[in-house]
Amino acid sequence: MFKRFQQADWFTRVSVIWLFIVGLCAVFGRALPLWNPLESDFESLGVGLGSPNHFLGTDSNGYDLLSNVVVGAQTSALISLVSVGVGGLIGATFGVVAAYRRGRFDYVVNTVFNIFLSVPNLVLGLTLVAVLATSSDPSVPVSVNRRTFVIIVSLTVVIIPILGRIARGATLVWVNRDFVVAARSMGMRDKDIIMKHIVPNVLPAIYAVGFLAFGVVIVAEGALSLLGVGVIDGVSWGSMIARVAGDYEFAPHSLYVPAVVLAITVISCNQVGEYLRSRLDLREGKI
Amino acid sequence: MFTFRLQSFVRRAAQLVVVLVGSTFLLAMLLLLLPVGMEELFVVAVDEAGRLEQLKRLRLDRNPVFGYLGWLWDFVRGDFGPIIYPGAGEDAVSDRVARALPISLLIVLYVQVVALLVAVPLGIATAYRAGSKGEKVVSYSLFAASAIPNFVFALLLAAFFGVTLGWLPPLGYVPLSEDVVGHLRTMVLPVLALAIPTVATYTRLLRTDVIAALREDYVTMAVSKGLSNKRILLTHVLRPSSVTLFTSAALNMGGLIGGTLVIEQIFSIPGMGSEIALAIFGRQYFALQSYVALIAVGYVLFNVLVDVLVGVVDPRARGRRNV
Amino acid sequence: MTSLLSIRDLTVRFETPRGLLVAVRDVNLEIPHGTSMGIVGESGSGKTVMSRAAMGLLSGSNVRREGAIFFGEKELTAMSREEVRNEFGTGMAMIFQDPMTALNPVRRIGSQLAESLRVRLGLDKKAARLRSIELLSSVKIPDPESQLEKFPFQLSGGMRQRVMIAIAISCNPKLLFADEPTTALDVTVQSQILQLLSELRRDLDMSMVLVTHDLGVVAGNTDYVAVMYAGEIVEQATTVDLFANMKMPYTEALLNSIPKINSQSGARLRVIEGRLPDPTQRPSGCGFAARCSYVQAKCTAEHPPLVDAGNGHLYRCWFPLGNTIARKQ
Repeated sequence: MFKRFQQADWFTRVSVIWLFIVGLCAVFGRALPLWNPLESDFESLGVGLGSPNHFLGTDSNGYDLLSNVVVGAQTSALISLVSVGVGGLIGATFGVVAAYRRGRFDYVVNTVFNIFLSVPNLVLGLTLVAVLATSSDPSVPVSVNRRTFVIIVSLTVVIIPILGRIARGATLVWVNRDFVVAARSMGMRDKDIIMKHIVPNVLPAIYAVGFLAFGVVIVAEGALSLLGVGVIDGVSWGSMIARVAGDYEFAPHSLYVPAVVLAITVISCNQVGEYLRSRLDLREGKI
Repeated sequence: MFTFRLQSFVRRAAQLVVVLVGSTFLLAMLLLLLPVGMEELFVVAVDEAGRLEQLKRLRLDRNPVFGYLGWLWDFVRGDFGPIIYPGAGEDAVSDRVARALPISLLIVLYVQVVALLVAVPLGIATAYRAGSKGEKVVSYSLFAASAIPNFVFALLLAAFFGVTLGWLPPLGYVPLSEDVVGHLRTMVLPVLALAIPTVATYTRLLRTDVIAALREDYVTMAVSKGLSNKRILLTHVLRPSSVTLFTSAALNMGGLIGGTLVIEQIFSIPGMGSEIALAIFGRQYFALQSYVALIAVGYVLFNVLVDVLVGVVDPRARGRRNV
Repeated sequence: MTSLLSIRDLTVRFETPRGLLVAVRDVNLEIPHGTSMGIVGESGSGKTVMSRAAMGLLSGSNVRREGAIFFGEKELTAMSREEVRNEFGTGMAMIFQDPMTALNPVRRIGSQLAESLRVRLGLDKKAARLRSIELLSSVKIPDPESQLEKFPFQLSGGMRQRVMIAIAISCNPKLLFADEPTTALDVTVQSQILQLLSELRRDLDMSMVLVTHDLGVVAGNTDYVAVMYAGEIVEQATTVDLFANMKMPYTEALLNSIPKINSQSGARLRVIEGRLPDPTQRPSGCGFAARCSYVQAKCTAEHPPLVDAGNGHLYRCWFPLGNTIARKQ
């Protein structure tokens, strides 16, 4: 894998490095000697980049932007990793099995996918979050952890049909190839055929789209925060943007910082996904 | 060949019904998970008779499945149910939809038109000049632009042009019937915010397809026939290249609708997005059911339209099902 | 009398990430009016690049073309792209190897046929349609009128090739390039197409350049033959003379590699061992040296020039066949 990294063009390499940095922040963020992201530094409200105590400045509440970015990476990364990971696993499993077995099972699975896909991602996510995060007493806000959990579950549900459809499509390409028919004719068990023959060929396509899905989820988290159902009292990139929404004039850079970080991360995800996809096409071409 | 079309049409219609029923049914069942009962939310009555009457109207007095079926029956006849302000009266959802839907549709229409108008020439230009330095710059910028979320653009545009420069109103909406200029002024920023990433995506798509088409043998053959570049472009290259673009444009409708949700909030535009947000925050789950149903219907209809168009443009695809 | 097509010192190079690729090197060819010339070579010999370069169809920012190409009196290499394009269809035309990819898959046959007629000859819709039907008959397509409405994928391979021929001759070109016209077809159809091409040539007084890898194809169908190897012409003569007095070991090897119908069943196919030299790094000696059965020391050291055997039969070899010095190894 490392060799493939060295082979890639510079843009892809930078993207991978960036994602790696984000990953590091996600894991070690809270351990770093940074300001508490939710602690107001009343002496430096809304200061700009490169200020003495605050490397990236602060927002109008006095929150240090750098620490918010670093710790926020944890939330964003957690949400996307789990949603895409779990959602991808569930979706791909159903997709592959459905395409392999065909018949009624396939029809049902495909229809279910289509049903979920007929509602735009954000609307679906928003609806799920709103319903599941409703508290019984309207005056008591839902806890941050429960919010995060609900967001993860909702986005997982959104991802399942997306990756499921990709997996199904990819499997359909392979399931009729001669070597699968040959394996079946030699009495190989379905389970083994799927694991040994189909999955290795389908996995690259899923990886490629999976990276794109990371980007989608990170953006979705941002959108949900902006709409007010994100992790508002917690620390995340989306909530950083949400907090700025009304205060732009006072501290414009407090919008730019999370926006730029978000954009670069999404671009990196897209670039890695695109790179994997183009390598996949090359492979297919050789066959 | 004609029966093929009929067959696929029937198949599509059946699919529409299945999707519509499926998505709304799932939503209805989902609502059962609410920690708060629907009854508690909506039923406020002075006495038992009034309460029973309200329960009956909202179909909460029976098995949820039958309640759902009742709602479905009303829905297909155009009655989208009520928005209830417990103890303070109600609105008909259909009225609100009638007011909000055209606004959102207008925004989406503007975005698609603008995006296509820009993306088509840009896609062709970048394809023909592929490899040149200028083209590389443009392509990388487009790639970056397609990855930046639309609400980021929206916030930046609103902040910069709306507040800092003050050229355009950062908030609000003026209907077309009232004041054309005012209408357009309030539309510029939201449409731009949605259109920029869309243009980027469309251009990249078209560019890939045009480059692929230019490599095809039949283009070399067309050149060998002595046809002009312009003619080759219009009659040989654009047709196959535009298929993916159309399909994506249609499939993008879903993303655009989701986009309008956020954009309408940012710019305070009273469209469907705002309605949906209001319904969600106001816990108007009945209305939400109708909204989701409408969106599902719209989406599937669009897919049908796209399939038909693709059949027109590429005859190899006629009668064939999208796998 | 000037030749119809005159190629002088044509060299074509491609700039690739791996280096400068020389596809065609110092090629000189004359094609007189009303004759047909075969260009024979294996894949990668440069024959296709040369034919496309000759017609001016090579496009791409990485192509470097040198030399002069004359079509009658006009110097194509000195003309602008539009002027050269003007010669297409009415002066020169090309038919391609795979009719499935060379015909636009989403347009009907009739409209593709009529396109040249209407744009280049200025015919109106009705006249174009009539002429299209005539053209389809001339390429022996049955029931031409109903074929006009069909799409390429609805026709068989042989029919598609005929349609492509019809399109190519629609404006009565004086020179037809046929780039591997029969390679994508099976054997029975091959001979039909070749015969059709010969007849059309006679009827329309058209010259033809037939590019192929199969010596058998040129045998009965061409007046002259030029054999290409690694971007150069290595043997050139009238077809009769080439087969009668073959000079190049390479040509002999090509001839031997054609499977014969009367050979013993189970006999091994005779192949030419080895591969073409890397086009980014030309060897110093003869390009075929590594694979030649008659190779001598001089072959790998010095690059042989093209010499005339006396009667216009050109060859590029230090030890041509029939030479008493050469001895089969």
